[in-house]
Amino acid sequence: MRLYWLELILFSTYAELRAERARSYLGFLWWIIEPAMNMATYYLVFAVVLKTGQRDYVPFLLVGLTFWQWFKSGVSHGGLSIWQQLNLIRQVRLPLQVFPSVQILADTVKFAFILALLLVILWAYGYKPDVTYFALIPVLLVELVFTAAVAYLVGAMMPFVPDLRFVIEQVLQVVMFLSGVVFSLDSMPPDLRRWFELNPIVELIDAARDVLMYARWPDWWALGRVTLISFALFALGAYLIRRYTPRYVKLPT
Amino acid sequence: MSEPIIELQNVGVAFSAQLRMGAPRFWALEDVSLSLPRGARLGVVGRNGAGKSTLLRVLAGILAPDRGKIRAVRVSCQLLSLALGFVPYLSGRDNAILSGLMLGLRRREIERRLPAILEFSELGDFFEQPVSSYSTGMFTRLGFSVAMQVEPDVLLIDEVLSVGDTEFQKKSGDALRERIHNGTTVVFVSHLDALIKQVCDCAVWIEHGRSVMQGPVDAVLAAYHAAAPVAIAAQ
Repeated sequence: MRLYWLELILFSTYAELRAERARSYLGFLWWIIEPAMNMATYYLVFAVVLKTGQRDYVPFLLVGLTFWQWFKSGVSHGGLSIWQQLNLIRQVRLPLQVFPSVQILADTVKFAFILALLLVILWAYGYKPDVTYFALIPVLLVELVFTAAVAYLVGAMMPFVPDLRFVIEQVLQVVMFLSGVVFSLDSMPPDLRRWFELNPIVELIDAARDVLMYARWPDWWALGRVTLISFALFALGAYLIRRYTPRYVKLPT
Repeated sequence: MSEPIIELQNVGVAFSAQLRMGAPRFWALEDVSLSLPRGARLGVVGRNGAGKSTLLRVLAGILAPDRGKIRAVRVSCQLLSLALGFVPYLSGRDNAILSGLMLGLRRREIERRLPAILEFSELGDFFEQPVSSYSTGMFTRLGFSVAMQVEPDVLLIDEVLSVGDTEFQKKSGDALRERIHNGTTVVFVSHLDALIKQVCDCAVWIEHGRSVMQGPVDAVLAAYHAAAPVAIAAQ
C-alpha cells in the first residue's frame, strides 16, 4: 500500500470522527454513553430480569459485548461505506478500500474508549491486570483484520445489492447470539461447540475472556487458525473490491 | 504538436440502466476514436446527452471502456472537480486538506499550499470555520481554490471556466486560462462556440456516442452546425 493511501485513510478517519463529534450536543461523550446504554440494556434483560445465573455473568457479558460491538459497528459502517460514496467515486479515481478502512479505524478509536472503560470496571470488580494482558495485542490485531475482512466483503457486494443493508443488522443480531456474547456456549455438548468455534468471533471473545477474567493465556492454536482465516478473507475482500471497482461506477445513480 | 499521449480507438462504454438482474445496458459511448497530442487544447462539442461528460470520465480513468482500446502514456489526468469530498461539519482548512488528498496530493504538498488557498479564496478568518456556515459564494471560492492546486498533465474541464460572483468569476477565469495556456494539455467540454474558439486549438465532435470528426476548431464547428438540422430530423 502506498504512503499516499495511508495519509488519505488517516486524515479521513480524523475528519469522520471530527464531523461526527460536531453533529451532536454531547459530541464524543456519545462514544461512551451509547455503548454503555447498550450494555445496561443487556444487563437489565439477561442478568436482572431473566436472572441468567451464571457465575461471573456481569464481566462475562461486558467483555463479550465490548469485543462484539467493535466488530459489529465496523462491519455495519464499513459494509455501507462504498455504496454511500458512489457519487464521489464517479468523480475521482480512488482506491476504494479507503472507505471501509476509514469506518473501521473510526470505530476502533471509539472502541479504545470503551476498552479503557471496561478495564476500569473489571479492576473495580477485582479482576486485576496480569502478565497475560500481553496476549491482548495479538487478539486485538486479529479482530481488527477479521472485522476489516468482513467489512470489505460486505462492502464489495453492497453497491450491487443495496437491499443487503436491510438484512445486515438482523444477520449480525443472530450471529451475536450464536457467538457466545450473551449466553455462554460452554453448556452445549463439546461436539456441537466445536462447530460454533468455526466462527472466528467465538474464538476471539473466548481469548479476550481468558485474558481479562481468568488471567489465562489464550488458546494459541485457535488464535492462529483465526489469524489465517482473517488474512485469507481480508485478501479476498480487497481483491473483490479492486476487481469490481470499474463496475461500481457504471451502476445506475 | 508531438506524439499523442492518449489515444482512443473505437471506445464504447455501457451503463446498467436499472438495479436488477439481467437489466439491459445502454451505451453512453458507442464508438469514439480520438487522439490527444501533448500540449493540445482539445474542445469537445456535441448535443446534450451525446456522451461528452462520459468521454471526459473515460479520459480521467474513472470509467473503463467496455469495448475498444485506450492507449496512453503514463500521465496524470484530472477532472476539474469543485468541492470534491467536502464534509459540511469540517473547517475550510480541514476540507482543503481532505479534498487535496482525494485529488492525489501528498499531505505535505497540501500543507505547503494552504496559504495560497487561503489567499486565493479570500476567506480570511472563515477558513477555520465549518464550511456549513459558508455562503454559496464562499463555498465555491474554496472549492475552486483547492481544485486549482492540483497540477495534472492533462486537465479535463466540463463546462466550468469560472465560478462565483462577478468579481471572483474574473479572477477564477483568469487563473484557469493561465493554467490552460501554460502548456498543460487540456480537454474542454462546452456548449459555447465562443469559449471553444477562445480556449482550444483543435476540436472533436461527438454525436450519439460516436466521434464524427476531429480537426481544427473552425472546421469542426462548421461541420457540426451544418449537420444540426439533419441530425435533429433524423431523431
